Amino acid sequence: MRTISKKLNKEEIEAFGKEVDTLREEVMAKVGKEDADHIRFIYKTYRYTEVLGRGLIHFSFEPISFVAGTLLLSISKIINNMELGHNVLHGQYDWMNDPRFNSRTFEWDIVCNAHQWKFYHNYMHHTYTNVLNKDHDYGYNFTRLTEAQKWKPVHLTQPFTNMFLAMNFQWGIGAHGYRVEYLETPKKLRKKKTLNDYKALFFKKIELQLLKDYILFPALAGLNFPKVILGNLLANLIRNLWTYAVIFCGHFTENAESFTTDEIVGETKAQWYLRQLKGSSNLEGNNLFYTMTGHLSHQIEHHMFPDMPAKRYREVAPRLKEICAKYGQHYNTGSFVKQFASVWKRIIAYSFPDHIASKVMGKRKKFLEPTIVLSQPSFQVSLPSEEKSVTLT
Amino acid sequence: MKSFPFIYNEPREFLSSLQPKEWANFFLGELNPRFSVTATKAKVIEVKEETSDSKTIVLKPNWLWKGFASGQHVPVTVEIAGRRVTRFYSLSSHPNDKYLQITVKRQKGGLVSNFINQNIKKGDILELGEASGDFVLTKELPKDLLFLAGGSGITPIHSILRSLQTLNYTGKATLLYFVRSYDDIIFKSSFDSMQKNSNWLTVHYVFSDIPKEGYASGFLSKEILETYVPNLKSSSVYVCGPSPMQTKALSLLEGLPVKSELFLLPGQNVGKVKKEGTVDVFLTLSHKTIQVKGERSILEELEEQGIYPQSGCRMGICHTCVCKKQTGSITDLSNGETSQLGEENIQICVSRAESNLELEL
Repeated sequence: MRTISKKLNKEEIEAFGKEVDTLREEVMAKVGKEDADHIRFIYKTYRYTEVLGRGLIHFSFEPISFVAGTLLLSISKIINNMELGHNVLHGQYDWMNDPRFNSRTFEWDIVCNAHQWKFYHNYMHHTYTNVLNKDHDYGYNFTRLTEAQKWKPVHLTQPFTNMFLAMNFQWGIGAHGYRVEYLETPKKLRKKKTLNDYKALFFKKIELQLLKDYILFPALAGLNFPKVILGNLLANLIRNLWTYAVIFCGHFTENAESFTTDEIVGETKAQWYLRQLKGSSNLEGNNLFYTMTGHLSHQIEHHMFPDMPAKRYREVAPRLKEICAKYGQHYNTGSFVKQFASVWKRIIAYSFPDHIASKVMGKRKKFLEPTIVLSQPSFQVSLPSEEKSVTLT
Repeated sequence: MKSFPFIYNEPREFLSSLQPKEWANFFLGELNPRFSVTATKAKVIEVKEETSDSKTIVLKPNWLWKGFASGQHVPVTVEIAGRRVTRFYSLSSHPNDKYLQITVKRQKGGLVSNFINQNIKKGDILELGEASGDFVLTKELPKDLLFLAGGSGITPIHSILRSLQTLNYTGKATLLYFVRSYDDIIFKSSFDSMQKNSNWLTVHYVFSDIPKEGYASGFLSKEILETYVPNLKSSSVYVCGPSPMQTKALSLLEGLPVKSELFLLPGQNVGKVKKEGTVDVFLTLSHKTIQVKGERSILEELEEQGIYPQSGCRMGICHTCVCKKQTGSITDLSNGETSQLGEENIQICVSRAESNLELEL
């Protein structure tokens, strides 16, 4: 895989890993009440937006309250899935010892079963990030994103299949979950549980979700039921589009790299950090934007420290960026629009055979030069004149 | 495809997926932090200073509180730096009192006892569990009663004595209270008034560290028992205090009906085990393999490595930390028994890893 980061030798990689570890330890030592208060605030926001949203949809007799209700319900679902669900299921708040925020007991408002998701996301995706044929999140098995994947005519349709996926993203996640768990189970053990057993769990969750959104709540609204069905449908759609956009920006931007299974054999922790860095990309925005993405705007930090309370990524990011600059590693970040456009450029480019794809994607920039030469201490330059002026005044 | 028949067959599971209790708890909690439909929450009404290192917390519980019998204890959950921690404390008030009361003495290195003494103030909310324990009076009251208390072990005994008072006890009761010094006596004024208003109770304070004129000093011994308890041979005995005292008492009182209660700090009940090498613990739900030494409880060793399973009392009472062990063998720290290799539910707070383990965590 082509890279625009400086190639590091073994010692440099280990030194890089050590600095990242130190950063992690420093920040994890601070985790405490502040983080607990944050997740409780998020929980509160989720509860209130859902009640208000559903309430407005139920009792709306004009379009304004209906739209407001639908938007609130979408926000509630987004918060439930992203800042609350995704992060809680990573075990980021297990230390609180509160069943509401524990990865073992949490279940979320999405068709995908939390246990299955934890297998293929927490384990498969986070361990084998961007490793072809191992990371099933990479292109969700039908999107071609690199030359390493062989072109087939069916890939010409991928811009359209991706649009379809975006609108039905929760189904994509849920459905590929049980298959992954089955495929990744060693063949001997598969006999214990068939694909249908995994499927049954998935379908059970679907039933619960469909019944809740499209039968129970509409029924509660009486004659207003078509509006409730429509409101729920729209809220789910908005949530799907948003999560698709955020998650695809995380690993499939132009400069996010992919890896082969051979490359990760015997990988050390430091090399793993490096792969997480090269395979992920960040989004820039304000704090509200960060929260609404569940801090997946800080995909790089999230992939390096998946069990760190997500809000901490904000303070980790600038320091990690410095470490990356020091070692000449590309830190992939940009605005939401820029990154999302680059994802789509890649989806469209690789839908064509290689000779066209490489023309569209263009040649990559050369290696980044490290901003600081490693062997030299960075505090060499002293400013005696300034010091004097300070003492004088 | 398994579809709607599931809902039809298990409507309860569907209802629970809607989380009605979580919703109720959330909105009740918004109205008043003491309200809940699942948790017994109690508001701190008053904090009384008993001695320089112990405080009495007066609590007003919500409607889920089921009451207690004198001498019982209750799990108390507090939040320390965002983290919920549970410990057991005896109730020191009388069951008929308007409010509940626990008395907490600072323990050296004790996370919760120090936190309660330093930080709990009027208006705070604590979470309680159900009262339990059989350190209580028998239905038929014995004629002669002997209470041996050491340090903060006085709390359940205080409650029992108050019960005896309201029951108009007609026998004879002796309390031997071992404390470090005169200033460390908890409930002094309460005992004084009890003694004044009754002819069945005699209280003797014995100081172990700083002697005081007119009072006995030393530790529990045959001589002290013989001096202060004339009717020792016919007594029913209640013992509550630190473990050396209990061991001593049990050996001195052989043959007598003895009820004892021992509170241990988390980790204190773990016999010292030194092991060489490590064993692998595979957590099947989180797909992590970690190495532990198998010297302390699995819970402690997991927490040391930044993995926090749900936990409660940490002494095998509350079953919050139960998880399924799929393979491997453990030693139950509460009775020292080593388990089979097969599948079973274990409490990781009182289990020590014996071989490689596979846990559903």
